[in-house]
Amino acid sequence: MDEIRIAAVADIHLGEGMRGRFRPQLDGIEDRADVLLVGGDLTRHGTLDEGQVVAHELRDLPVPVIAVLGNHDYHSDQNIEIIECLRDAGISVLDDSSDVVSVGGMRLGVAGGKGFGGGFAGKCASEFGEPETKAFVRHTREIAERWRHALKDLEADKKVLLSHYSPVKETLVGEPLEIYPFLGSYLLAEAADAAEVDLIIHGHAHKGTEKGLTPGGIRVRNVAMPVIGAAYALYCIA
Amino acid sequence: MDTPHYVAARVQQALAEDDRTNELGIQVYVRGNQLFLRGQVTGDAQLDVLGQVAAETAPGMTVHNEITVVEVTKPETEEHLG
Repeated sequence: MDEIRIAAVADIHLGEGMRGRFRPQLDGIEDRADVLLVGGDLTRHGTLDEGQVVAHELRDLPVPVIAVLGNHDYHSDQNIEIIECLRDAGISVLDDSSDVVSVGGMRLGVAGGKGFGGGFAGKCASEFGEPETKAFVRHTREIAERWRHALKDLEADKKVLLSHYSPVKETLVGEPLEIYPFLGSYLLAEAADAAEVDLIIHGHAHKGTEKGLTPGGIRVRNVAMPVIGAAYALYCIA
Repeated sequence: MDTPHYVAARVQQALAEDDRTNELGIQVYVRGNQLFLRGQVTGDAQLDVLGQVAAETAPGMTVHNEITVVEVTKPETEEHLG
């Protein structure tokens, strides 16, 4: 095998009314991809009931499934229960952690988690002032630090960073400029650029753009379902 | 009559925060007593409730629900990243 075929999607926003409707789009995925990455916002309201729908739609696929949660999946404070439910269904859920899957003799390492906002270099929030502002910025900084460690410890032939929030501005083009700080942070890109990452996958920005680059030259792909216009996008890493 | 700017903001907040909807990306436009909703959602079950929450938040306005549902199909091509 000389390349790894990655299927990726984010923002599938499944709920009770969609049970049985997403899975048919994944039929035959094993003929086109070696792994499926799901970049958060799996649910609409973040309830365990919705998490069970996600588990039902993604379980027992013929390719490994690796996912992260998104902001919607935190809304009902049942994120831990959703993670457990997905893991019980055989789905690997990254929570500022990593996993490695074997693909035709090659090791694909995937690290990541939800990520968070804060904005982009030169136009971002700082850990200064009110406790609420400091906490907002610190949350992203701590996530980025955990990603640095996860990526550094990752032993694999190819590495992918999987996030919900965006690491770069380029894949946000189409969204209002005013909300960029709530859509991502350059700290996430900086963590990836410090490691040898081959691809970054994210979602969250429904009106954004598919393709971007980090300052260090890593390819970034926004796979929010409204952006890619399909059940998943396909990327082959040589 | 409320200033249209604030009516639109109030409806957008309601669509994001109401537990029946929790939709963050819906655009709201107000012209006179006409209120327009635009954006995309992943399921058709959400369409009616979005219009309902908007109507409840802006009583007396005529709601035009122009939100569409994302068509989900299998991908046609793949990208090779050398």
